[in-house]
Amino acid sequence: MKISRWYYVSLGIVYFFLLGPFLIIFAASFGAESTLSFPPRGFSLDWFANIFANDNFIRSFWTSLQLGLLSTFLSLLFGVPVAYALTHFDFKGAGLVETLFSLPILVPGLVIGLAMLNFFVLFGKFDMMMGLMAGHTAILFPYSVRVVSVALRNLDPAVEEAAVNLGANRLRTFLLIVLPNIRAGIAAAFILGFITSFNNVPVSVYLSAPGVNTLPIAMLSYMEYYFDPTIAALSTLLILFSLLLVQAAERVLGLSQFV
Amino acid sequence: MRRTVSILVLPALLFIFIFFVLPILFLLAQSFLDPETGQLTLTGYIDFFQKETSQIIYVRTLRLGLTITLINIVLAYPASYVLARMPARRRTMAMSLVILPLMTNPVARTYAWLIILGRTGLINNTLLGLGLIERPERLIYTEGAIILGLTQLFLPLMILSLVSAMENIPKDVEQAARSLGANGITAFLRVIVPLSADGLVLGATLVFTGSITAYVTPVILGGNRMLMLSTLLRQRSMMAFDEQGATVVAVVMIVTALAVNLIVRMLRPKPTAQR
Repeated sequence: MKISRWYYVSLGIVYFFLLGPFLIIFAASFGAESTLSFPPRGFSLDWFANIFANDNFIRSFWTSLQLGLLSTFLSLLFGVPVAYALTHFDFKGAGLVETLFSLPILVPGLVIGLAMLNFFVLFGKFDMMMGLMAGHTAILFPYSVRVVSVALRNLDPAVEEAAVNLGANRLRTFLLIVLPNIRAGIAAAFILGFITSFNNVPVSVYLSAPGVNTLPIAMLSYMEYYFDPTIAALSTLLILFSLLLVQAAERVLGLSQFV
Repeated sequence: MRRTVSILVLPALLFIFIFFVLPILFLLAQSFLDPETGQLTLTGYIDFFQKETSQIIYVRTLRLGLTITLINIVLAYPASYVLARMPARRRTMAMSLVILPLMTNPVARTYAWLIILGRTGLINNTLLGLGLIERPERLIYTEGAIILGLTQLFLPLMILSLVSAMENIPKDVEQAARSLGANGITAFLRVIVPLSADGLVLGATLVFTGSITAYVTPVILGGNRMLMLSTLLRQRSMMAFDEQGATVVAVVMIVTALAVNLIVRMLRPKPTAQR
């Protein structure tokens, strides 16, 4: 059946609205003027050079990268066993466990950040990086548990039964048979977790200190003092990075079914 | 089996208990304690609901959430229908572009709206150039700016929810409606909309709760002039050093978000997927 062209017009409007602003950032980041204006006048690559000359951006980028990788890894290390238990055993309190691990998504990030800061302060001095790591790992749990659970449910139980029948114990079966078979799900969880951590502001904003902050927090504080297109240039790079990552992940793993 | 389950679940439970549940409980307690004397008190809450400034901000937050949800529904419905009817391969490509705003650094995404709405931004320069205005209008730090920014952020969630609901509607149902004499719009409103109601409810809940708790967009596009709950919370804890006031706003925010989820669940007893 033919779809009326008005539907396509509305899809066009949606794309224009979702992606148009990104094109405007790209254009603005090449402007020559030192205060941001649009349409940009002149052409310059200075703002891109400016990013790499700024210590705070470089340092916070490495912090964000480390934090993203480590907290995603931790959330999977703790989360995969939970997903396995939820999909393989019918135990008392399974519903409660599932609810508990979905809570960090229902509670606003800003509240989690404030709560953690207030709580950590109780114990006197604490390491900010550890605080960030704990906070990010906690907010990533829901993604890890859910995405890996989906992958485990989609796995044909016969595969596991065959291994067990041939004499492998549970751990061996898991490591040698189950894990390789759900690697797409693990990869999807990893990418989703990494992006979530890398882009997080509300939790990080409370757990930052001079010298320890993440890239988005460094961008926000730069914006308070400077109005030049450096942030536009940095945004251009970050948007292209997301675009590549999402395209690759969508093609290989079908990321949008897990979001 | 019990031992195996314990070994699997306990480490994660312990982690989430120490680093999530305890801090939240502590924050809840803080909101009821007088910061000086340590006595139980409701002053924080009474202040919040009696002071005009916080009343205005609370009502504004709910109103903006509702507005954004409605705009999202109108924009997303027809577009999701096209996406749901696309062949799988093309849909994958199309969806990966739809979810881009969700996956982008939030500061970068919001910065685009500063370039569009700023004093020397796209809209002001265009209107000045056409001679329609004489001096730049203030377009940021307005409710409109927040609505634009949050609509761009949450439209993907709405579309994802609707598309996954519409995928399951068989094409024959619609064809049947058409052959029985319904025109395109009637078929859409009477067949597609009711059959995708689950996705609509899920999407609307996500968009509403997301909008009333979002932080980056209101902080950049609303600033201190157009506060929402989240920016009020941040202001109280950092600038005003009003620790208890901040925890009260935090609790109001959690309770509102959870209440919306609960009400939706009660109105639709059928279990829907949780994000």
